[in-house]
Amino acid sequence: MAQFPSEAWFEAVRQAYNGDDRYHGGGAGACHCRAAAKVGSDAYLLLFEGVDCSETRKLTDGELAEVDFYLEMAPQGWQAMIKDIAAHDGASLNYTLNTLDLQNDAGIARSVHGDQYREDLFFRYNQTFQYFFDASARVSTRFK
Amino acid sequence: MGKSNQWGVRVKPGKHGLRLGDLNVGIYGDIPEQWQDQTRNPRGAIPRRGVPPVGYSIRDKADLWADSAANLYEEAIQRRWAPATDIPWHTVKPLPEALERAICQVCTELCQYANCDIETISSWQHQMAYGYHEVKQYLATASFDGARQFEAFRKRALINGGGLGLEGPGEVNRMILESRGGWTEAVTYAFLLRGTFTMTMLRYLERAACNDAERSLYSHAMEDKARHLTYALEHLQYAIAHQDDMKLILQQLLLIGHGIFARELKDNVLREALAVVFAGGLDRAGTEGLATYRRMMGDFMRRYLDTCSWLGVELEPKLMPPRMTQYLAQE
Repeated sequence: MAQFPSEAWFEAVRQAYNGDDRYHGGGAGACHCRAAAKVGSDAYLLLFEGVDCSETRKLTDGELAEVDFYLEMAPQGWQAMIKDIAAHDGASLNYTLNTLDLQNDAGIARSVHGDQYREDLFFRYNQTFQYFFDASARVSTRFK
Repeated sequence: MGKSNQWGVRVKPGKHGLRLGDLNVGIYGDIPEQWQDQTRNPRGAIPRRGVPPVGYSIRDKADLWADSAANLYEEAIQRRWAPATDIPWHTVKPLPEALERAICQVCTELCQYANCDIETISSWQHQMAYGYHEVKQYLATASFDGARQFEAFRKRALINGGGLGLEGPGEVNRMILESRGGWTEAVTYAFLLRGTFTMTMLRYLERAACNDAERSLYSHAMEDKARHLTYALEHLQYAIAHQDDMKLILQQLLLIGHGIFARELKDNVLREALAVVFAGGLDRAGTEGLATYRRMMGDFMRRYLDTCSWLGVELEPKLMPPRMTQYLAQE
């Protein structure tokens, strides 16, 4: 069982995502993006290269400025999303990343640099990021 | 036979395969600012004497180029989806009649938007010189995106017994199709103005999806539109950097375009259909549904103005039709 948030949890999700062919076809597939997930004050890198997520790790201070965009929610927001994914073997209609982004006044997809070209990768690869978090349904999770 | 402008150039597949952009080595990577050849001679090949000209009108790099075109082409190919098999159509279940009618109406208009994309791109593509094959190839996929979306939205309209609704007013479609000032003008109208609107609408439709089939459909279409927008942003940036007055030209074009865009917003059919979809039925369409519609329009306007500003094209809201700017004041 992996604790969320932690490097171990993101690594377990990465392996589940990389190991399941369902997440790599039908409109997903190759993705080249340096994204991050920000949970409270902690941020985790999600590096996508080709059809795989090649690296996940905790980011150090200042590294958040280097990612194309990051997804930020309060810990309870992340928890609700992950629980929904686990319950439905993938995000239900109320918990897709796009829906959460629209429901949050400031959006959940953000960047430090404000470069729209890089921020738009959230939309260009949306299905891939969705599949990545959907893969968390394969990871037994406990919360802090 | 046996002739070559540069013998011995070898390209090697990288860890992501052998991509279109990887071929730009040696003389094959020289992409001139102007392409003089009027034939279908592929870039880097030895021209044959006496070939009658084809008559390409777009021969300046500034009129079509975007650095990301080769990557976007690869992305469109590698992230392809097939409406026949990649959308879980079996999840579509009977819906209340008013909601079904509204979804069908929205899909009817989205079919028209997709059709407009196909026709717009193909009406310009044959005028683009072969020296810029990366852009021509990417636009071939963008045209196919339109064909696929036309197919997918038509399928959604027909799968649940509703069928197609009322034809949209089509004024913006006509403006896009009849823009004759150049491909950059068509990009401005089709991708920047209409594309940003469609993208915002798809995002709200995904949020209001009644089943996994719709969620998947809108989500895939959103990715397609995001690629179009990426191409548009890069091309417009390039055009602005390489042509005098381009910012002012874009500003003027958009001021003209806003009038037509606003006129189409007068048509209440799409607005009401979206309100019903956003409210999940007729009961709360006039309250909750319209409020969500207004929020969607506010998001569209902010995103659109931010994009123009990011490009350096400043648009004064007071010079825009109130039918568009009214949504800015809401939040």
